[in-house]
Amino acid sequence: MKLTKSLLSHNNWFIIKPKLTGMLVFLFFCTIFSLIISQQYHILKKAKNDAMHAKLQAIHKSIEQSLKKNYVDALTLALTINDKGIPENFESVGKQILASDSNIDAVQLVPNGIIRYTYPLKGNEAAIGIDLLNNKKYRYEALKAIQTRKMYFAGPFELNQGGLGILGRLAIYKNNQFWGFSAVIIRLNTLLEKPEIQNIDSSKYYFQFSKINPITKKETFFLNAKTKLNPENAATSIIPDGDWKLYLVDRKPYELVFPFILRALLALFLASLIGFLTTSFFKKPAELENLLRKQSDELLKNEIKFKSVFDQAAVGITYVDTVTGQLLEANKKYCDLLGYTEQEIKQKKIQSIVHPDDLKESFLNFEKLRKGIIREYTTERRHITKSNDIIWIRLTISPLWEINTSPTNHIAIVEDVTERKLAEEAIFNSQQKIESLINTVDGIVWECNAKTLEFTFISKKVETILGYTSEEWINTPDFWVNHIYHKDKDSTLKYCAEHTALNLNHDFEYRMIAKDGSIVWLRDIVNVIVENGEAKNLRGIMIDVTKNKEIEKDLNNSFNLVSEQNKRLLNFSYIVSHNLRSHTSNISSIVDLIENSDSEEEKEEMIQLLKSVSDSLNETMLNLNEVVNIQTNVDIVTEKLNLKQYIDNTLTILSDQIQLKGVKVISSIEKDIEIIYNPAYLESVLYNLISNAIRYSHPEKHPIIHIDSYKEGKKTVLKVSDNGIGIDLHKNGHKIFGMYKKFSTHKDSKGIGLFITKNQIDAMGGSITVESEPNLGTTFKVYIS
Amino acid sequence: MTEKTIWVVDDDPIYQIIMKKIIHKSNIFSSAYSFSNGKEAIDSLKQIILKNEKIPDIILLDIEMPILDGWGFMDEIAVLKSRINVQIRIYISSSSIAIEDKERANNNCGILGYMCKPITLDDLIKIASA
Repeated sequence: MKLTKSLLSHNNWFIIKPKLTGMLVFLFFCTIFSLIISQQYHILKKAKNDAMHAKLQAIHKSIEQSLKKNYVDALTLALTINDKGIPENFESVGKQILASDSNIDAVQLVPNGIIRYTYPLKGNEAAIGIDLLNNKKYRYEALKAIQTRKMYFAGPFELNQGGLGILGRLAIYKNNQFWGFSAVIIRLNTLLEKPEIQNIDSSKYYFQFSKINPITKKETFFLNAKTKLNPENAATSIIPDGDWKLYLVDRKPYELVFPFILRALLALFLASLIGFLTTSFFKKPAELENLLRKQSDELLKNEIKFKSVFDQAAVGITYVDTVTGQLLEANKKYCDLLGYTEQEIKQKKIQSIVHPDDLKESFLNFEKLRKGIIREYTTERRHITKSNDIIWIRLTISPLWEINTSPTNHIAIVEDVTERKLAEEAIFNSQQKIESLINTVDGIVWECNAKTLEFTFISKKVETILGYTSEEWINTPDFWVNHIYHKDKDSTLKYCAEHTALNLNHDFEYRMIAKDGSIVWLRDIVNVIVENGEAKNLRGIMIDVTKNKEIEKDLNNSFNLVSEQNKRLLNFSYIVSHNLRSHTSNISSIVDLIENSDSEEEKEEMIQLLKSVSDSLNETMLNLNEVVNIQTNVDIVTEKLNLKQYIDNTLTILSDQIQLKGVKVISSIEKDIEIIYNPAYLESVLYNLISNAIRYSHPEKHPIIHIDSYKEGKKTVLKVSDNGIGIDLHKNGHKIFGMYKKFSTHKDSKGIGLFITKNQIDAMGGSITVESEPNLGTTFKVYIS
Repeated sequence: MTEKTIWVVDDDPIYQIIMKKIIHKSNIFSSAYSFSNGKEAIDSLKQIILKNEKIPDIILLDIEMPILDGWGFMDEIAVLKSRINVQIRIYISSSSIAIEDKERANNNCGILGYMCKPITLDDLIKIASA
């Protein structure tokens, strides 16, 4: 800055007034150029004049030469005059002269001034006798010739024979006595027929010939000239012998002027150019200086502006030595934030202000800045104020060094965000609270997109109920769909989709596969969140209802059991009513008949009938008693029994019948099969099944009975099959194990055996099934727990 | 007095004896037949149709019987109906007091009435004169 100023003061004058400088330079060059040009002009002009003079001189000489010759001719003519003053041989001499000098037109001898002799006479007759000395027209010139005693040329004038002519007169003295004149007439044209004149470059010059009238003193020009002659443009020469003036006139007097005007213009232009260039040359620094001044003003203004921005900024700004961490400068806001004065803050290093927990992060970021990995960073961290309070600040660091140079300083912009941070913390805490609240709910709280079924939230309870983490649930696409128990999947998705489409909240149950592979029953209570009439989200809670379901199942089982027992009870009551009623109605009818009997015989007959009714009633009562015993007996004694042994016993009991009917019994029961059963029941079941098989044998076949046993699951199955008459199960299947259900007219058929058998098997916790085809045979299977 | 025929279809032999006595006492029927189950009765009916003999006027039908019960008998007779040109008046006579049985009887258009045992002389006269 200072340097520029001193530089400027040196050239101050030029620089301040570049236009004046330019003007001076212009004038200077103008002067120089005009001097040079005028000099050149003069030289050329002189050369031209000299050339003209030289040419004129040559013409002059040539004319004088001709005149001298004429003088000689006149002298020659004068010699013809003899002593007496009379010309001799005038004619012949004249003829000779004319022949030798083509210039001469005619010769005259003028004794005493009177024209007496003329050769050739022809054509010149008019001249004879003219008295020159007394003729006003010729007197002056004639006298002049006498005076100068030389040959004097008069004219030019109009010749009598036409054209312009000159008359050369030589005064002749004879014996010192004036005799007269010897004269020659010369045509002007012939006189001027000189090569010097003819060779004149007619484009440049023209020749003029004049005479000053001796009387009038008026100059008369004799050669045709269109332009008026300007003596200044001509070279002149005077021939005293005729008082003639010769002119060589410059046709182009301004020939030199035009080029010189051009040159002058060129010079003017050149001078202007130089002047202009000078101006602009000196103007440039002036402009630059102006610019410099403006910019420095601007700079100063900016500095003031930035200074005020820095000081007045609503954010804290500090200027830090990157290497040492020393705070170099800080604005008021920064000082206020930390509670230090400006002096105090300048004693501080950044490390002492940053919260110890944030130092590491600060250091890492600075490392990145130093290495040029990042050029700026913004972060939120804690600072410690003078009063040891912690404030949260939002910090932006901008380094002030160029990339790939070593770190110097940086600017840190700091904003107090403590309040926001506290608010955020409060929000976070309340969120935590809500979340923990949600997590205390005894069900999985969830939210998902209604269209994609993508879950956006799933509470932690999912871990306790299903074993999955919230993260794996949310991050795995279609997690929910893929973990619904396969049997429930289609119906669940359909149900859900239907209700969602109608914007209906729903509450339904389905099974899901837990992480450990177990099946969990869930009740899902779903709220459809509708936006603009369209289901946007689904929110709900999944409650583990597995236990309820188990209880429900147990309840169902119990219900089925009770229903079964009820049915049995009802069946039993029908049996009782039917069987007992059939007897009582019979008794009633017989008694009626006895009362109305006509004879003692009839009475006796009826009493016999009554007795048989009483017997069968008794039997029925015994059977019923047995059934009731089985059904009401809760604690039946069971023990380990050998199956084969019991079968063998039964076959022994029935051996008479077997023999009688020729039945072939094939038993595949192995010795070691043992079952836990009530011994009496087992005996009864075996007896009933085998005796039935014998009793209902086919009359046209050899009866064969198969007795087999095998394991089905945990149960032992006892199978008794025959090739007997069979039962039409389509018609009678439902009542085969009913009481007093008989399917044949067999005499021993009572319809009680299978009823008791079934009751006994049921009481032991097992079951009995039957397969049969009429005429093919029957197979009973007893399932023993 | 026209000659009326009555069939008693019941598996209880004592009831059969009693019914014979009562029918005899009523003196309404010219003949009475007993069948111990539905099958015997239907077979007999088929024979009668074949031989074009006298078709019974009244049948007293028990429900619970071996081989072919009362309901089975009703099903069979429905099949034969087109071949029977006279009306057979069938009454259920059962010791069952179950409502289901009564309703089932009411719903069967071939059954004219449901009578609970014991059947008295008066009952018999009533149905015979109906």
